[in-house]
Amino acid sequence: MKVRASFARTAALGLALAAFGTVSAQGLLDALNEAVEDPTLPVTATFKDTRIVNVQSNETPAEGVLHFVIAHRFGTLNSGAYELWGLDNAQMRMAFDYGVTDRLAVGVARNTYQKTYEASIKARLLRQSTGPDAFPVSVTWYSVAMANGLKAPTDVTPYYFTHRLSYVNQAVIARKMSEDLSLALVPSFVHRNYVQTTEDAHDLWLVGVGGRYKLTQRLSINGEYHHYLTQQFEEGFSPSLSLGVDIETGGHVFQLHVTNARGMFERSFLAEPAGSWADGSLYFGFNLSRVFTIKS
Amino acid sequence: MKIFLSTMLLASASFASAQQFMTRSGQVHFFSETAMENIEAENAQMSGLLDASNGGFAFQVQMRAFHFEKALMEEHFNENYVESEKYPKATFQGSIQDWDDAWKDGESHDVVATGSFDFHGVKKERDIAGTLTWNGKGWDIETRFPVALEDHKIEVPAVVKDNIAPVIDVDVNATLDPR
Repeated sequence: MKVRASFARTAALGLALAAFGTVSAQGLLDALNEAVEDPTLPVTATFKDTRIVNVQSNETPAEGVLHFVIAHRFGTLNSGAYELWGLDNAQMRMAFDYGVTDRLAVGVARNTYQKTYEASIKARLLRQSTGPDAFPVSVTWYSVAMANGLKAPTDVTPYYFTHRLSYVNQAVIARKMSEDLSLALVPSFVHRNYVQTTEDAHDLWLVGVGGRYKLTQRLSINGEYHHYLTQQFEEGFSPSLSLGVDIETGGHVFQLHVTNARGMFERSFLAEPAGSWADGSLYFGFNLSRVFTIKS
Repeated sequence: MKIFLSTMLLASASFASAQQFMTRSGQVHFFSETAMENIEAENAQMSGLLDASNGGFAFQVQMRAFHFEKALMEEHFNENYVESEKYPKATFQGSIQDWDDAWKDGESHDVVATGSFDFHGVKKERDIAGTLTWNGKGWDIETRFPVALEDHKIEVPAVVKDNIAPVIDVDVNATLDPR
């Protein structure tokens, strides 16, 4: 028995050595994979920018990053050669968003359309993640207050500062379905302190869907649609629908799109999209964003 | 025969485990230097196994665990260059040439590690020179080697060609303790 055991050990040594000599490396990599658990990682770059087209995406600027956006919407495409199909008639939006932390951003913006100012806060409540503690979706909250800066109308008295204000709260529930496809569901609540006619509702509920599909590493097509849950619009009114492309070049993201929304702030494109896809009163436009690392 | 086989298995198992050294916190740093800008990233989660019976080794890094100075660089690195979702890890596996377990003298020994370097889904046979030092308990390893982006099919678009070096220097430092 003793003899046998020592023979066994020698045989085992020999076999083990032979085995290691030939397949050791692959065996070691497998052993390593078994010993080291894959970490839980948040899913990144669900969307290329903080907006899908008009509506917010789940993304926020990283901590210490200033995200600067210049956006234009030209006049309607069906306005004819005299207006160069809308190019003579641009509306502009300038926005600064700052990442206070990786999960919290604050922003200010100014629109030429209705001379509207914006102040906003955006928070990533939940993040989609992969790994042992995977989570299926990202949930980001967005709240914005908007102030109309036009001269007070003469036919409304009294006209207080509060008349100028409107608010939007929304949740962006997003999922990166695959490397190429990302989808978002965006319920929104719009409150307008002042509305044009008594027919118009002060409070509106909408649910939006948005998505992007990557055609190449740096090019994607994007779209969004907002469905009204509150019935208050006249017949023929066209809900907000936008289609576009994202082009990424280094520190810039260019978003080119066609939309029936005239304004680029939430009250306007959610509650008051001026154009219609049916008659071609659409606006061509772009968002151009650039990030600056203020604090690293 | 049953006893013979189980003894054999036990013997080989205990033999193998006693000879293995491991890390989960190896440091990997890489550096891209161009006239336009310098880009660097750190990863402190390299894992590795060394089999001291024969010099066989396997190392791996999670691409997502590389951290950059700028968040956007990190996003571009993962999304556009190394495609971390498709290729989450880089691995290097093989054996150390002329392995000698008797190098436990506290001195640094120049060694060459020969193996298969798998990065961005492209495997390359590489000889990587480094130093190996016995620290009384385990092995300290240190190496610096170049990685040519073209070799691993990492495409750099024309607009940023001047910002990213075609060959990246990679530094690795790790301490492998008995497993």
